Amino acid sequence: MPDTPTPIEVHESGDAAVRVVATSLDRERNWAAVHALAGWFEMADVDGVHCAVPTYDSVLVEFDPYVTSARQIRAFVLLGMRQLDFAGAPARMPRRFDVPVVYGGEYGPDLQKVADHEGLPVSEIIALHTAKSYIIRCLGAPAGSPMMDGPEFPLPVPRLKDPRLSVPAGAVSVAGRQAVIAPAVAPGGWCVIGQTPLTVLNPDKQPLVPYLPGDLLRFHEITAADFERYAGLELEASK
Amino acid sequence: MSGTLTILQAGHSVVTDLGRFKGPRYGLPVNGALDQFSARAANILAGNKDNDPLLEVTALDFRMRADTDLLIAVTGAPVTLTVGGRECPQWEPVSVLAGETVALRSMNTGLRAYIAVHGALDAPMLLGSCAPDTVVGFGLKLTDGTTLGARETVPPIRQPYFDLPLFRLGLSRPGVSAHPVIDVTDGPDIAEFGDTAELLFKTSYTVSGRSNHIGLRLGGALPERQSRAEVLSRGVPVGAIEVPSREELLVLHRGRGVTAGYPVLGVVTSRSLDVLAQARPGNIIRFRNTTVAEATGRHRAAMRELEALRTSVNTVFGLLGVGAPASWRDLMPASGS
Repeated sequence: MPDTPTPIEVHESGDAAVRVVATSLDRERNWAAVHALAGWFEMADVDGVHCAVPTYDSVLVEFDPYVTSARQIRAFVLLGMRQLDFAGAPARMPRRFDVPVVYGGEYGPDLQKVADHEGLPVSEIIALHTAKSYIIRCLGAPAGSPMMDGPEFPLPVPRLKDPRLSVPAGAVSVAGRQAVIAPAVAPGGWCVIGQTPLTVLNPDKQPLVPYLPGDLLRFHEITAADFERYAGLELEASK
Repeated sequence: MSGTLTILQAGHSVVTDLGRFKGPRYGLPVNGALDQFSARAANILAGNKDNDPLLEVTALDFRMRADTDLLIAVTGAPVTLTVGGRECPQWEPVSVLAGETVALRSMNTGLRAYIAVHGALDAPMLLGSCAPDTVVGFGLKLTDGTTLGARETVPPIRQPYFDLPLFRLGLSRPGVSAHPVIDVTDGPDIAEFGDTAELLFKTSYTVSGRSNHIGLRLGGALPERQSRAEVLSRGVPVGAIEVPSREELLVLHRGRGVTAGYPVLGVVTSRSLDVLAQARPGNIIRFRNTTVAEATGRHRAAMRELEALRTSVNTVFGLLGVGAPASWRDLMPASGS
Protein backbone atom coordinates (compact mmCIF):
# COMPACT_ATOMS: atom_id res chain seq x y z
CA MET A 1 0.00 0.00 0.00
CA PRO A 2 1.32 3.47 -0.89
CA ASP A 3 2.38 5.73 1.97
CA THR A 4 0.54 8.79 0.74
CA PRO A 5 -3.09 9.05 -0.39
CA THR A 6 -3.69 8.95 -4.15
CA PRO A 7 -4.02 12.60 -5.20
CA ILE A 8 -7.40 13.43 -6.72
CA GLU A 9 -9.21 16.38 -8.27
CA VAL A 10 -12.97 16.89 -8.14
CA HIS A 11 -14.41 18.76 -11.14
CA GLU A 12 -17.93 20.16 -11.43
CA SER A 13 -19.81 18.45 -14.27
CA GLY A 14 -23.18 20.17 -14.27
CA ASP A 15 -25.74 20.23 -11.43
CA ALA A 16 -26.19 16.44 -11.25
CA ALA A 17 -22.66 14.96 -11.54
CA VAL A 18 -19.05 15.45 -10.54
CA ARG A 19 -15.95 14.05 -12.21
CA VAL A 20 -13.25 12.77 -9.87
CA VAL A 21 -9.82 12.37 -11.49
CA ALA A 22 -6.89 10.52 -9.89
CA THR A 23 -3.71 12.45 -10.73
CA SER A 24 -0.79 10.34 -9.52
CA LEU A 25 1.94 9.55 -12.05
CA ASP A 26 1.13 5.83 -11.77
CA ARG A 27 -1.60 4.76 -14.21
CA GLU A 28 -2.28 1.45 -12.43
CA ARG A 29 -2.67 3.24 -9.13
CA ASN A 30 -5.06 5.80 -10.63
CA TRP A 31 -7.16 3.04 -12.15
CA ALA A 32 -7.27 1.09 -8.89
CA ALA A 33 -8.17 4.25 -6.94
CA VAL A 34 -11.14 5.30 -9.09
CA HIS A 35 -12.55 1.76 -9.17
CA ALA A 36 -12.15 1.44 -5.39
CA LEU A 37 -13.93 4.78 -4.97
CA ALA A 38 -16.81 3.65 -7.24
CA GLY A 39 -17.10 0.47 -5.17
CA TRP A 40 -17.08 2.55 -1.99
CA PHE A 41 -19.98 4.68 -3.29
CA GLU A 42 -21.95 1.56 -4.17
CA MET A 43 -21.35 0.12 -0.69
CA ALA A 44 -22.02 3.42 1.12
CA ASP A 45 -25.37 3.82 -0.68
CA VAL A 46 -25.27 7.58 -0.06
CA ASP A 47 -28.73 9.16 -0.13
CA GLY A 48 -29.28 10.88 -3.48
CA VAL A 49 -26.34 9.23 -5.26
CA HIS A 50 -27.55 7.37 -8.38
CA CYS A 51 -24.29 5.67 -9.32
CA ALA A 52 -20.55 6.03 -9.83
CA VAL A 53 -19.08 5.24 -13.25
CA PRO A 54 -15.34 4.48 -13.16
CA THR A 55 -13.18 4.33 -16.31
CA TYR A 56 -9.35 4.68 -16.49
CA ASP A 57 -8.29 7.59 -14.31
CA SER A 58 -11.68 9.06 -13.48
CA VAL A 59 -15.05 8.30 -11.96
CA LEU A 60 -18.29 10.14 -12.74
CA VAL A 61 -20.58 10.36 -9.70
CA GLU A 62 -24.20 11.01 -10.69
CA PHE A 63 -26.63 12.35 -8.11
CA ASP A 64 -30.09 13.83 -7.59
CA PRO A 65 -29.58 17.59 -7.09
CA TYR A 66 -32.85 17.81 -5.11
CA VAL A 67 -31.49 15.51 -2.42
CA THR A 68 -27.79 16.36 -2.39
CA SER A 69 -25.35 18.69 -4.10
CA ALA A 70 -21.98 18.81 -5.82
CA ARG A 71 -20.49 20.25 -2.59
CA GLN A 72 -21.83 17.39 -0.49
CA ILE A 73 -20.65 14.80 -3.01
CA ARG A 74 -17.21 16.36 -2.94
CA ALA A 75 -17.14 15.89 0.84
CA PHE A 76 -18.19 12.25 0.40
CA VAL A 77 -15.45 11.71 -2.18
CA LEU A 78 -12.78 12.99 0.22
CA LEU A 79 -14.24 10.86 3.02
CA GLY A 80 -14.26 7.80 0.78
CA MET A 81 -10.65 8.33 -0.32
CA ARG A 82 -9.49 8.70 3.29
CA GLN A 83 -11.35 5.58 4.34
CA LEU A 84 -9.91 3.59 1.43
CA ASP A 85 -6.39 4.81 2.24
CA PHE A 86 -6.93 3.71 5.80
CA ALA A 87 -8.62 0.37 5.27
CA GLY A 88 -7.78 -0.48 1.66
CA ALA A 89 -10.27 -1.63 -0.95
CA PRO A 90 -11.77 -5.09 -0.52
CA ALA A 91 -9.77 -7.46 -2.73
CA ARG A 92 -11.53 -9.60 -5.34
CA MET A 93 -9.96 -12.47 -7.24
CA PRO A 94 -10.14 -11.67 -10.96
CA ARG A 95 -12.07 -14.19 -13.06
CA ARG A 96 -10.80 -15.33 -16.47
CA PHE A 97 -12.74 -15.23 -19.71
CA ASP A 98 -11.66 -17.09 -22.81
CA VAL A 99 -13.03 -15.62 -26.06
CA PRO A 100 -12.92 -17.51 -29.38
CA VAL A 101 -12.56 -15.17 -32.38
CA VAL A 102 -12.78 -15.62 -36.14
CA TYR A 103 -10.33 -13.08 -37.59
CA GLY A 104 -10.56 -11.28 -40.93
CA GLY A 105 -12.89 -11.77 -43.87
CA GLU A 106 -16.52 -10.84 -43.29
CA TYR A 107 -15.92 -11.30 -39.55
CA GLY A 108 -13.11 -8.75 -39.38
CA PRO A 109 -13.37 -6.41 -42.37
CA ASP A 110 -10.63 -4.04 -41.11
CA LEU A 111 -7.97 -6.68 -40.32
CA GLN A 112 -6.00 -6.07 -43.51
CA LYS A 113 -6.20 -2.29 -43.05
CA VAL A 114 -4.80 -2.60 -39.52
CA ALA A 115 -2.01 -4.90 -40.77
CA ASP A 116 -1.09 -2.41 -43.52
CA HIS A 117 -1.10 0.48 -41.03
CA GLU A 118 1.15 -1.42 -38.62
CA GLY A 119 3.41 -2.69 -41.41
CA LEU A 120 2.95 -6.28 -40.23
CA PRO A 121 1.51 -9.42 -41.84
CA VAL A 122 -2.07 -10.31 -40.85
CA SER A 123 -0.79 -13.39 -39.03
CA GLU A 124 1.38 -11.19 -36.79
CA ILE A 125 -1.60 -8.91 -35.94
CA ILE A 126 -3.56 -11.99 -34.86
CA ALA A 127 -0.57 -13.34 -32.92
CA LEU A 128 -0.19 -10.03 -31.03
CA HIS A 129 -3.92 -9.81 -30.35
CA THR A 130 -4.04 -13.34 -28.89
CA ALA A 131 -0.65 -13.08 -27.12
CA LYS A 132 -1.72 -11.80 -23.71
CA SER A 133 -4.47 -11.63 -21.14
CA TYR A 134 -6.14 -8.23 -20.99
CA ILE A 135 -7.37 -6.58 -17.80
CA ILE A 136 -10.92 -5.30 -18.32
CA ARG A 137 -10.40 -1.67 -17.35
CA CYS A 138 -14.00 -0.49 -17.37
CA LEU A 139 -17.45 -1.01 -18.87
CA GLY A 140 -18.02 1.36 -21.75
CA ALA A 141 -20.60 2.28 -24.34
CA PRO A 142 -22.45 0.56 -25.81
CA ALA A 143 -24.11 -1.72 -23.29
CA GLY A 144 -21.22 -2.51 -20.97
CA SER A 145 -18.46 -3.15 -23.53
CA PRO A 146 -15.28 -4.53 -21.90
CA MET A 147 -12.69 -1.77 -22.43
CA MET A 148 -9.13 -3.13 -22.44
CA ASP A 149 -5.60 -1.81 -22.98
CA GLY A 150 -4.85 -2.97 -26.50
CA PRO A 151 -2.36 -5.43 -28.00
CA GLU A 152 1.34 -4.55 -28.29
CA PHE A 153 1.06 -3.13 -31.83
CA PRO A 154 3.92 -0.84 -32.92
CA LEU A 155 1.55 2.08 -33.70
CA PRO A 156 -1.79 3.34 -32.32
CA VAL A 157 -4.68 2.28 -34.60
CA PRO A 158 -6.56 5.22 -36.16
CA ARG A 159 -10.35 5.32 -35.96
CA LEU A 160 -12.36 4.87 -39.16
CA LYS A 161 -12.87 8.07 -41.16
CA ASP A 162 -16.48 7.06 -41.77
CA PRO A 163 -17.85 5.28 -38.70
CA ARG A 164 -20.12 2.30 -39.48
CA LEU A 165 -23.81 2.82 -38.77
CA SER A 166 -24.09 -0.74 -37.51
CA VAL A 167 -21.48 -3.10 -36.09
CA PRO A 168 -22.70 -6.60 -35.15
CA ALA A 169 -22.78 -7.97 -31.61
CA GLY A 170 -19.59 -9.89 -30.90
CA ALA A 171 -17.41 -7.63 -33.07
CA VAL A 172 -13.82 -7.56 -31.81
CA SER A 173 -12.26 -4.14 -32.40
CA VAL A 174 -9.16 -2.06 -31.78
CA ALA A 175 -8.54 1.70 -31.78
CA GLY A 176 -5.74 3.85 -30.44
CA ARG A 177 -4.10 1.65 -27.81
CA GLN A 178 -7.40 0.02 -26.81
CA ALA A 179 -9.26 -3.22 -27.52
CA VAL A 180 -12.95 -4.06 -27.05
CA ILE A 181 -15.78 -6.50 -27.80
CA ALA A 182 -19.21 -5.14 -28.80
CA PRO A 183 -21.91 -6.78 -26.62
CA ALA A 184 -24.73 -5.40 -28.79
CA VAL A 185 -25.36 -4.07 -32.29
CA ALA A 186 -24.37 -0.39 -32.39
CA PRO A 187 -22.70 2.21 -34.59
CA GLY A 188 -18.91 2.14 -34.32
CA GLY A 189 -15.79 3.96 -35.48
CA TRP A 190 -13.22 1.38 -34.33
CA CYS A 191 -11.42 -1.07 -36.62
CA VAL A 192 -13.20 -4.45 -36.56
CA ILE A 193 -10.59 -7.23 -36.85
CA GLY A 194 -12.74 -10.22 -35.89
CA GLN A 195 -15.93 -11.51 -34.33
CA THR A 196 -16.72 -13.90 -31.48
CA PRO A 197 -19.67 -16.26 -31.89
CA LEU A 198 -20.36 -16.10 -28.14
CA THR A 199 -23.30 -14.12 -26.78
CA VAL A 200 -21.88 -11.42 -24.53
CA LEU A 201 -25.02 -9.58 -23.45
CA ASN A 202 -28.05 -11.24 -21.90
CA PRO A 203 -30.87 -8.77 -21.11
CA ASP A 204 -32.57 -11.44 -18.97
CA LYS A 205 -29.63 -11.57 -16.57
CA GLN A 206 -28.51 -8.97 -14.05
CA PRO A 207 -25.94 -7.70 -14.57
CA LEU A 208 -26.35 -7.97 -18.33
CA VAL A 209 -22.71 -8.72 -19.05
CA PRO A 210 -20.79 -11.48 -17.19
CA TYR A 211 -17.53 -9.61 -16.44
CA LEU A 212 -16.54 -6.76 -14.16
CA PRO A 213 -13.65 -4.31 -14.31
CA GLY A 214 -10.55 -6.09 -13.04
CA ASP A 215 -11.43 -9.44 -14.65
CA LEU A 216 -9.03 -10.95 -17.23
CA LEU A 217 -9.89 -11.73 -20.84
CA ARG A 218 -7.94 -13.59 -23.50
CA PHE A 219 -8.69 -14.13 -27.19
CA HIS A 220 -7.94 -17.28 -29.20
CA GLU A 221 -8.32 -17.84 -32.91
CA ILE A 222 -10.92 -20.22 -34.34
CA THR A 223 -11.80 -20.96 -37.96
CA ALA A 224 -14.91 -19.68 -39.70
CA ALA A 225 -16.11 -23.30 -39.79
CA ASP A 226 -16.05 -23.34 -35.99
CA PHE A 227 -18.18 -20.17 -35.71
CA GLU A 228 -21.46 -22.11 -35.92
CA ARG A 229 -20.28 -24.59 -33.32
CA TYR A 230 -20.05 -21.82 -30.71
CA ALA A 231 -23.09 -19.86 -31.86
CA GLY A 232 -25.71 -19.44 -29.14
CA LEU A 233 -23.26 -20.16 -26.30
CA GLU A 234 -22.83 -17.46 -23.69
CA LEU A 235 -19.56 -15.91 -22.58
CA GLU A 236 -18.82 -17.30 -19.12
CA ALA A 237 -15.91 -17.18 -16.72
CA SER A 238 -13.51 -20.12 -17.05
CA LYS A 239 -13.84 -22.73 -14.33
CA MET B 1 -59.90 -3.69 -10.43
CA SER B 2 -57.82 -3.39 -13.54
CA GLY B 3 -58.44 -2.88 -17.22
CA THR B 4 -56.90 -2.82 -20.65
CA LEU B 5 -55.75 0.10 -22.77
CA THR B 6 -55.65 -0.45 -26.51
CA ILE B 7 -53.34 1.71 -28.58
CA LEU B 8 -55.30 2.69 -31.70
CA GLN B 9 -52.66 4.98 -33.22
CA ALA B 10 -49.20 4.61 -31.74
CA GLY B 11 -47.46 7.36 -33.70
CA HIS B 12 -44.11 7.50 -31.99
CA SER B 13 -44.80 6.54 -28.38
CA VAL B 14 -43.21 4.49 -25.61
CA VAL B 15 -43.92 3.40 -22.04
CA THR B 16 -41.23 4.91 -19.85
CA ASP B 17 -40.46 6.33 -16.40
CA LEU B 18 -37.86 8.70 -14.96
CA GLY B 19 -35.00 6.44 -16.01
CA ARG B 20 -32.59 3.62 -15.20
CA PHE B 21 -30.53 5.44 -12.57
CA LYS B 22 -28.38 2.39 -11.76
CA GLY B 23 -27.74 1.73 -15.47
CA PRO B 24 -24.63 3.85 -16.04
CA ARG B 25 -22.67 1.68 -13.57
CA TYR B 26 -23.24 -1.20 -16.02
CA GLY B 27 -22.66 0.78 -19.20
CA LEU B 28 -26.35 1.45 -19.87
CA PRO B 29 -27.61 5.00 -20.44
CA VAL B 30 -30.10 6.35 -17.89
CA ASN B 31 -32.79 6.95 -20.58
CA GLY B 32 -36.34 7.64 -19.34
CA ALA B 33 -38.64 10.63 -19.93
CA LEU B 34 -36.66 13.35 -21.67
CA ASP B 35 -38.82 16.11 -20.14
CA GLN B 36 -38.59 15.02 -16.51
CA PHE B 37 -40.67 17.92 -15.11
CA SER B 38 -43.61 17.17 -17.39
CA ALA B 39 -43.40 13.43 -16.70
CA ARG B 40 -43.35 13.96 -12.93
CA ALA B 41 -46.21 16.47 -13.18
CA ALA B 42 -48.34 14.04 -15.22
CA ASN B 43 -47.87 11.27 -12.67
CA ILE B 44 -48.55 13.58 -9.72
CA LEU B 45 -51.72 14.92 -11.42
CA ALA B 46 -52.87 11.32 -11.95
CA GLY B 47 -52.24 10.52 -8.27
CA ASN B 48 -49.22 8.32 -9.01
CA LYS B 49 -45.66 8.19 -7.77
CA ASP B 50 -43.27 10.39 -9.76
CA ASN B 51 -41.44 7.38 -11.16
CA ASP B 52 -44.45 5.27 -12.23
CA PRO B 53 -44.58 3.97 -15.83
CA LEU B 54 -46.34 6.43 -18.17
CA LEU B 55 -46.62 7.15 -21.90
CA GLU B 56 -44.23 9.45 -23.74
CA VAL B 57 -45.67 10.60 -27.08
CA THR B 58 -43.19 12.20 -29.48
CA ALA B 59 -44.27 14.58 -32.28
CA LEU B 60 -46.98 12.47 -33.96
CA ASP B 61 -50.73 12.07 -33.34
CA PHE B 62 -51.71 9.42 -30.81
CA ARG B 63 -54.97 7.66 -29.92
CA MET B 64 -55.91 5.03 -27.33
CA ARG B 65 -59.09 3.51 -25.87
CA ALA B 66 -59.71 1.88 -22.50
CA ASP B 67 -62.23 -0.83 -21.62
CA THR B 68 -62.61 0.64 -18.15
CA ASP B 69 -63.11 4.05 -16.50
CA LEU B 70 -59.82 5.85 -15.99
CA LEU B 71 -58.33 8.99 -14.56
CA ILE B 72 -55.51 10.40 -16.70
CA ALA B 73 -53.37 13.55 -16.94
CA VAL B 74 -51.61 14.87 -20.04
CA THR B 75 -48.65 17.25 -19.80
CA GLY B 76 -45.63 18.32 -21.86
CA ALA B 77 -45.90 19.85 -25.33
CA PRO B 78 -49.20 21.65 -26.11
CA VAL B 79 -51.58 19.35 -28.03
CA THR B 80 -55.26 19.19 -28.85
CA LEU B 81 -56.47 16.66 -26.26
CA THR B 82 -59.88 15.08 -26.78
CA VAL B 83 -61.64 12.43 -24.72
CA GLY B 84 -64.68 10.88 -26.39
CA GLY B 85 -64.60 13.83 -28.82
CA ARG B 86 -64.73 16.46 -26.02
CA GLU B 87 -61.80 18.83 -25.84
CA CYS B 88 -60.09 18.57 -22.44
CA PRO B 89 -57.39 20.59 -20.68
CA GLN B 90 -53.79 19.50 -20.28
CA TRP B 91 -51.99 19.74 -16.92
CA GLU B 92 -55.16 18.63 -15.07
CA PRO B 93 -56.66 15.28 -14.09
CA VAL B 94 -59.21 14.17 -16.70
CA SER B 95 -61.86 11.44 -16.36
CA VAL B 96 -62.14 8.92 -19.20
CA LEU B 97 -65.18 6.62 -19.49
CA ALA B 98 -64.90 3.00 -20.62
CA GLY B 99 -64.98 2.88 -24.42
CA GLU B 100 -64.02 6.52 -24.95
CA THR B 101 -61.08 7.36 -27.19
CA VAL B 102 -58.28 9.57 -25.87
CA ALA B 103 -56.62 11.47 -28.72
CA LEU B 104 -53.59 13.77 -28.81
CA ARG B 105 -53.35 15.79 -32.01
CA SER B 106 -51.63 18.81 -33.52
CA MET B 107 -48.37 18.90 -31.59
CA ASN B 108 -47.02 21.96 -33.39
CA THR B 109 -44.81 23.51 -30.73
CA GLY B 110 -42.79 21.29 -28.42
CA LEU B 111 -41.95 17.70 -29.20
CA ARG B 112 -43.01 15.41 -26.34
CA ALA B 113 -46.25 14.95 -24.40
CA TYR B 114 -46.83 12.67 -21.40
CA ILE B 115 -49.92 10.66 -20.48
CA ALA B 116 -50.11 9.31 -16.95
CA VAL B 117 -52.89 6.89 -16.00
CA HIS B 118 -54.01 6.69 -12.36
CA GLY B 119 -52.68 3.46 -10.90
CA ALA B 120 -49.95 3.44 -13.55
CA LEU B 121 -49.32 1.04 -16.44
CA ASP B 122 -47.88 -2.45 -16.40
CA ALA B 123 -44.44 -2.67 -18.03
CA PRO B 124 -41.43 -5.01 -17.89
CA MET B 125 -38.52 -3.80 -15.77
CA LEU B 126 -34.74 -3.88 -16.23
CA LEU B 127 -32.46 -2.70 -13.40
CA GLY B 128 -35.45 -1.10 -11.71
CA SER B 129 -36.80 0.81 -14.72
CA CYS B 130 -39.20 0.22 -17.61
CA ALA B 131 -37.48 2.87 -19.78
CA PRO B 132 -36.76 1.48 -23.26
CA ASP B 133 -33.12 0.93 -24.19
CA THR B 134 -32.71 0.71 -27.95
CA VAL B 135 -29.12 -0.59 -27.73
CA VAL B 136 -29.86 -3.68 -25.64
CA GLY B 137 -33.29 -4.02 -27.26
CA PHE B 138 -35.29 -3.62 -24.07
CA GLY B 139 -38.70 -2.03 -23.56
CA LEU B 140 -42.29 -1.95 -24.74
CA LYS B 141 -42.50 -0.97 -28.39
CA LEU B 142 -45.96 0.41 -29.01
CA THR B 143 -47.66 -0.22 -32.33
CA ASP B 144 -51.26 0.09 -33.46
CA GLY B 145 -53.22 -2.56 -31.58
CA THR B 146 -50.79 -2.96 -28.64
CA THR B 147 -52.68 -3.52 -25.39
CA LEU B 148 -51.45 -2.28 -22.02
CA GLY B 149 -52.59 -3.24 -18.54
CA ALA B 150 -53.95 -0.34 -16.48
CA ARG B 151 -53.80 -1.24 -12.82
CA GLU B 152 -56.77 0.74 -11.45
CA THR B 153 -60.26 1.77 -12.46
CA VAL B 154 -61.51 5.21 -11.38
CA PRO B 155 -65.23 5.98 -11.61
CA PRO B 156 -65.92 9.27 -13.43
CA ILE B 157 -65.45 12.41 -11.36
CA ARG B 158 -68.41 14.72 -12.00
CA GLN B 159 -68.31 18.50 -11.93
CA PRO B 160 -71.32 19.60 -9.88
CA TYR B 161 -71.31 23.22 -11.10
CA PHE B 162 -71.34 24.52 -14.64
CA ASP B 163 -68.53 26.64 -16.03
CA LEU B 164 -66.02 25.82 -13.35
CA PRO B 165 -62.90 23.83 -14.06
CA LEU B 166 -62.91 20.44 -12.45
CA PHE B 167 -59.64 21.16 -10.70
CA ARG B 168 -57.69 24.32 -10.04
CA LEU B 169 -54.33 23.07 -8.90
CA GLY B 170 -52.23 26.12 -9.65
CA LEU B 171 -49.21 24.61 -11.35
CA SER B 172 -47.36 27.06 -13.58
CA ARG B 173 -46.94 25.30 -16.91
CA PRO B 174 -43.53 25.58 -18.47
CA GLY B 175 -43.69 27.68 -21.64
CA VAL B 176 -42.58 26.12 -24.93
CA SER B 177 -40.70 28.43 -27.28
CA ALA B 178 -39.23 28.06 -30.76
CA HIS B 179 -36.32 30.21 -29.48
CA PRO B 180 -35.46 28.63 -26.13
CA VAL B 181 -32.65 29.90 -23.90
CA ILE B 182 -30.65 27.03 -22.43
CA ASP B 183 -28.64 27.36 -19.20
CA VAL B 184 -25.16 25.84 -19.26
CA THR B 185 -22.51 25.46 -16.55
CA ASP B 186 -18.82 25.36 -17.46
CA GLY B 187 -17.71 21.84 -18.38
CA PRO B 188 -14.71 20.17 -16.72
CA ASP B 189 -12.70 20.51 -19.96
CA ILE B 190 -13.66 24.07 -20.93
CA ALA B 191 -10.01 25.19 -20.73
CA GLU B 192 -9.18 22.92 -23.69
CA PHE B 193 -11.24 25.21 -25.95
CA GLY B 194 -9.35 28.39 -25.02
CA ASP B 195 -11.00 31.65 -26.09
CA THR B 196 -13.25 29.85 -28.58
CA ALA B 197 -15.43 28.59 -25.68
CA GLU B 198 -17.03 32.05 -25.54
CA LEU B 199 -18.62 31.45 -28.95
CA LEU B 200 -21.12 29.20 -27.23
CA PHE B 201 -22.73 32.17 -25.49
CA LYS B 202 -22.30 34.75 -28.26
CA THR B 203 -24.03 33.05 -31.17
CA SER B 204 -27.19 31.03 -31.74
CA TYR B 205 -27.56 27.40 -32.85
CA THR B 206 -30.10 25.60 -35.01
CA VAL B 207 -31.50 22.20 -33.95
CA SER B 208 -30.74 19.59 -36.63
CA GLY B 209 -33.23 16.96 -37.81
CA ARG B 210 -30.71 14.28 -36.83
CA SER B 211 -31.39 14.95 -33.14
CA ASN B 212 -32.90 12.23 -30.95
CA HIS B 213 -33.02 10.88 -27.38
CA ILE B 214 -29.27 10.22 -27.49
CA GLY B 215 -28.40 13.80 -28.24
CA LEU B 216 -29.27 17.02 -30.02
CA ARG B 217 -27.10 18.07 -32.94
CA LEU B 218 -26.81 21.82 -33.33
CA GLY B 219 -25.53 23.84 -36.26
CA GLY B 220 -23.71 27.15 -35.72
CA ALA B 221 -20.33 28.67 -34.87
CA LEU B 222 -18.29 25.90 -33.27
CA PRO B 223 -15.82 26.33 -30.43
CA GLU B 224 -12.58 24.54 -31.30
CA ARG B 225 -10.44 22.31 -29.15
CA GLN B 226 -6.92 23.76 -28.93
CA SER B 227 -5.09 20.51 -28.11
CA ARG B 228 -4.94 17.28 -30.11
CA ALA B 229 -3.90 14.97 -27.27
CA GLU B 230 -5.72 11.64 -27.04
CA VAL B 231 -8.49 11.78 -24.39
CA LEU B 232 -9.04 8.73 -22.19
CA SER B 233 -12.63 7.46 -22.19
CA ARG B 234 -14.52 8.99 -19.30
CA GLY B 235 -18.02 8.92 -17.90
CA VAL B 236 -19.89 11.88 -19.40
CA PRO B 237 -22.94 13.45 -17.74
CA VAL B 238 -26.32 13.85 -19.42
CA GLY B 239 -26.29 17.41 -20.78
CA ALA B 240 -22.61 17.31 -21.79
CA ILE B 241 -21.80 19.63 -24.73
CA GLU B 242 -19.13 18.20 -27.05
CA VAL B 243 -17.68 19.19 -30.42
CA PRO B 244 -17.08 15.78 -32.02
CA SER B 245 -16.96 16.99 -35.63
CA ARG B 246 -16.33 20.11 -37.70
CA GLU B 247 -20.01 20.35 -38.59
CA GLU B 248 -22.06 20.21 -35.42
CA LEU B 249 -22.24 20.73 -31.72
CA LEU B 250 -23.54 17.71 -29.79
CA VAL B 251 -25.61 18.04 -26.61
CA LEU B 252 -25.99 14.64 -24.99
CA HIS B 253 -29.42 13.73 -23.60
CA ARG B 254 -30.67 10.79 -21.53
CA GLY B 255 -29.96 8.10 -24.17
CA ARG B 256 -26.27 9.01 -24.31
CA GLY B 257 -23.53 6.38 -24.23
CA VAL B 258 -22.14 6.52 -20.71
CA THR B 259 -18.47 6.88 -21.63
CA ALA B 260 -16.80 8.91 -24.36
CA GLY B 261 -13.44 10.28 -25.33
CA TYR B 262 -14.41 13.86 -26.20
CA PRO B 263 -13.70 16.84 -23.94
CA VAL B 264 -16.78 18.28 -22.21
CA LEU B 265 -17.11 21.99 -23.01
CA GLY B 266 -20.22 22.69 -20.95
CA VAL B 267 -23.10 20.90 -19.24
CA VAL B 268 -26.76 21.82 -19.75
CA THR B 269 -28.60 22.22 -16.42
CA SER B 270 -31.26 19.74 -15.30
CA ARG B 271 -34.02 22.34 -15.83
CA SER B 272 -32.82 23.23 -19.31
CA LEU B 273 -32.57 19.55 -20.35
CA ASP B 274 -36.38 19.53 -19.99
CA VAL B 275 -36.54 22.55 -22.29
CA LEU B 276 -34.24 20.83 -24.83
CA ALA B 277 -36.53 17.79 -24.73
CA GLN B 278 -39.18 20.02 -26.32
CA ALA B 279 -36.88 21.57 -28.97
CA ARG B 280 -37.93 20.77 -32.54
CA PRO B 281 -35.68 20.57 -35.59
CA GLY B 282 -35.27 24.12 -36.92
CA ASN B 283 -35.69 25.78 -33.50
CA ILE B 284 -33.06 28.42 -32.70
CA ILE B 285 -31.27 27.97 -29.38
CA ARG B 286 -29.23 30.42 -27.37
CA PHE B 287 -27.02 29.30 -24.50
CA ARG B 288 -26.67 31.26 -21.25
CA ASN B 289 -23.79 30.74 -18.85
CA THR B 290 -24.76 29.92 -15.26
CA THR B 291 -23.26 28.39 -12.12
CA VAL B 292 -23.87 25.00 -10.53
CA ALA B 293 -25.22 26.76 -7.40
CA GLU B 294 -27.77 28.72 -9.43
CA ALA B 295 -28.75 25.67 -11.48
CA THR B 296 -29.27 23.64 -8.31
CA GLY B 297 -31.44 26.42 -6.90
CA ARG B 298 -33.64 26.47 -10.01
CA HIS B 299 -34.00 22.70 -10.03
CA ARG B 300 -35.00 22.67 -6.36
CA ALA B 301 -37.53 25.47 -6.88
CA ALA B 302 -39.17 23.41 -9.65
CA MET B 303 -39.20 20.31 -7.46
CA ARG B 304 -40.78 22.26 -4.59
CA GLU B 305 -43.49 23.39 -6.98
CA LEU B 306 -44.16 19.74 -7.78
CA GLU B 307 -44.24 18.91 -4.06
CA ALA B 308 -46.88 21.61 -3.55
CA LEU B 309 -48.84 20.16 -6.46
CA ARG B 310 -48.66 16.72 -4.89
CA THR B 311 -50.09 18.10 -1.64
CA SER B 312 -53.02 19.73 -3.50
CA VAL B 313 -53.70 16.61 -5.54
CA ASN B 314 -53.59 14.36 -2.48
CA THR B 315 -56.07 16.66 -0.71
CA VAL B 316 -58.46 16.79 -3.66
CA PHE B 317 -58.24 13.07 -4.41
CA GLY B 318 -58.66 12.31 -0.70
CA LEU B 319 -61.88 14.34 -0.62
CA LEU B 320 -63.12 12.70 -3.82
CA GLY B 321 -62.18 9.24 -2.59
CA VAL B 322 -59.83 8.56 -5.52
CA GLY B 323 -57.38 5.88 -4.48
CA ALA B 324 -56.43 5.64 -0.84
CA PRO B 325 -56.70 8.86 1.16
CA ALA B 326 -53.35 10.61 1.55
CA SER B 327 -51.55 9.72 4.70
CA TRP B 328 -48.22 10.72 6.14
CA ARG B 329 -46.79 7.40 4.98
CA ASP B 330 -47.35 8.31 1.34
CA LEU B 331 -45.36 11.50 1.50
CA MET B 332 -41.84 11.76 0.15
CA PRO B 333 -39.10 11.53 2.75
CA ALA B 334 -38.05 14.96 3.99
CA SER B 335 -34.93 15.45 1.95
CA GLY B 336 -33.14 18.33 0.33
CA SER B 337 -34.24 21.81 1.25
